[in-house]
Amino acid sequence: MKNEKTPEISRRSFLKAAAGAAALSGLTLPKAVHAGGGKQLASLIDLSLCDGCSDREAPACVSACRTINKDTIPPIAEPIPVPWPRKTVEDWSRKREVKNRLTPYNFIYVHQAEIDWNGQKKTVYVPRRCMHCDNPACATICPFSANHKQTNGAVVIDQDLCFGGAKCKTVCPWEIPQRQSGVGIYLHVLPTLMGNGVMYKCDLCNGRLGKGALPGCVEACPRKAILIGPRADIFALAEERATQMKGYIYGKKENGGTSTLYVSPVSFDLINKTMRKKPGQPDMPTGVERRMAGTDPLGKLVLAAPALGIAAGAAGAFKWLSHRKAQMKEGGKDNG
Amino acid sequence: MAEKIREEKGLIVRHRIVELIEHWAIALSGLLLLLSGFFQMPTANRYYFTSLPGLSWSGDFFVSLNVHYAASILFIAAALFHLTYHGMRGDMGMIPQKGDIKTSITVIKSFFGKGEEPPFHKYLPEQRLAYAGMAFIIAMLILSGLIKTFKNLYAPDMSLTVVLAATWVHNIFFALFVLAFLGHIAAILLKPNRPMVRGILTGSVRLDYARHRHPLWLAEMEMELANEIPAPMEQAPAPAVLLEDPQPAEKVDVIPAPDQETDPSGKKEQS
Repeated sequence: MKNEKTPEISRRSFLKAAAGAAALSGLTLPKAVHAGGGKQLASLIDLSLCDGCSDREAPACVSACRTINKDTIPPIAEPIPVPWPRKTVEDWSRKREVKNRLTPYNFIYVHQAEIDWNGQKKTVYVPRRCMHCDNPACATICPFSANHKQTNGAVVIDQDLCFGGAKCKTVCPWEIPQRQSGVGIYLHVLPTLMGNGVMYKCDLCNGRLGKGALPGCVEACPRKAILIGPRADIFALAEERATQMKGYIYGKKENGGTSTLYVSPVSFDLINKTMRKKPGQPDMPTGVERRMAGTDPLGKLVLAAPALGIAAGAAGAFKWLSHRKAQMKEGGKDNG
Repeated sequence: MAEKIREEKGLIVRHRIVELIEHWAIALSGLLLLLSGFFQMPTANRYYFTSLPGLSWSGDFFVSLNVHYAASILFIAAALFHLTYHGMRGDMGMIPQKGDIKTSITVIKSFFGKGEEPPFHKYLPEQRLAYAGMAFIIAMLILSGLIKTFKNLYAPDMSLTVVLAATWVHNIFFALFVLAFLGHIAAILLKPNRPMVRGILTGSVRLDYARHRHPLWLAEMEMELANEIPAPMEQAPAPAVLLEDPQPAEKVDVIPAPDQETDPSGKKEQS
């Protein structure tokens, strides 16, 4: 089980990283950064800084993430049980090298968007990974609570509890979690009838955060395009940068709010147009609704149901008691 | 007196309308909860329920969650109504009594032709035990379900320990609820219990059945009438003294057995 400790290093690391970023971008840090913050963290991905590490074989964030998670998935069962009746098996163990999409072995990739911006061709690089939503349906309706939002905001799947039913992927508007069949607890229960592996995705390097280290992508980014820090500070910084560059923010309201904010000088509607939604390659529509919000009204009534039942029961019982009292009174008169 | 003997129809009222509503509200919403809870596992798509006519919604987790919530509202409200209403009235007829386990074994043996079953109160001893078991299962489902709902709405980062406990309690008692439901259905399929099915559908059972199998219930009613005690004491277990007192016992004896019933009109009409 991953621990939920708030990283001691978050503020210091954030300051260091943000200072480097500020030096690059010419921005100054907001005062809020120095004023202390809460336990909740957020990350910022500045698309004006990301160059996709085009001089490297793979983006530094991708390589770092892969190195950190190279042993995350245990050996795969051989052969992988074929589920019944729908015979879906997802095995990425022989395609571990894939880096241009999300897979159980690749939690982050960088999309390259070619955009016509103010009459000029512009290339925007967009790192894609889990957004770590504020109220993540992937976690709240996981039937085994294998996926959970930590107090620091990281949404973490416990691979020892996950059955790989892929419900989290279905309810995620970006379909981020990816399944690897042939691993996990389901192998020890009813492998052909229940479960189908384990879901994997970015956990914001929650284990490293607990030890006071930065997430791999943040630490590795040579241009400090990815930052992490106290939520309020990151949100303030995102606003400031967006204002400075007359740009746009993504992730603040999407899916009910997230703890990952993208800042871009180019509109996200244009960026999204360059994305064709494919398995493991989510698109980026603005204003994505939190579909689970549609269940909130009835959920609130569920919480009120005990009071409704007690009130109705008490009313019925009082009515009966007063009726009984009147009956006894009447009986007493008759007898007297 | 809630129970009413209708000699002319040969019936006795076993459940009042409020009890029928409680039972069916919990039963029907409980079945819907089982179904929608099953779809949340997730199973609908994998097991092709989505291909069945009228169940295409089952693969949409937000729709099935709304169905689950809607059924929960009725289920929880009915359960809490039951607890409050009957608790305040002092209805104790379904609370297990000392010796119920032992007597239940005797009764179950009699179902298989081994020995005679003893005379019953309004409820059989195994009904009282089953009620306690089902009440416990329902209580755990409601409690864990409320925690999960609160987490969904207001506290996605609730303590993982609490969330895991609520989740696993909910899942385990979901399975127990299925077993309890199957046991309940199996019990009413047993031939000696079948006359009670009419009771939970219409509120009344055959008077000859009640006289034959539940003489202690009828004796309690008679005693209450004699003492002019208004309802609902008829649901309370008969005091031990009743069983030892020769006078009420005589009253039991005068109730004609079904095959001896000659003059039903001779029995005092109770209203």
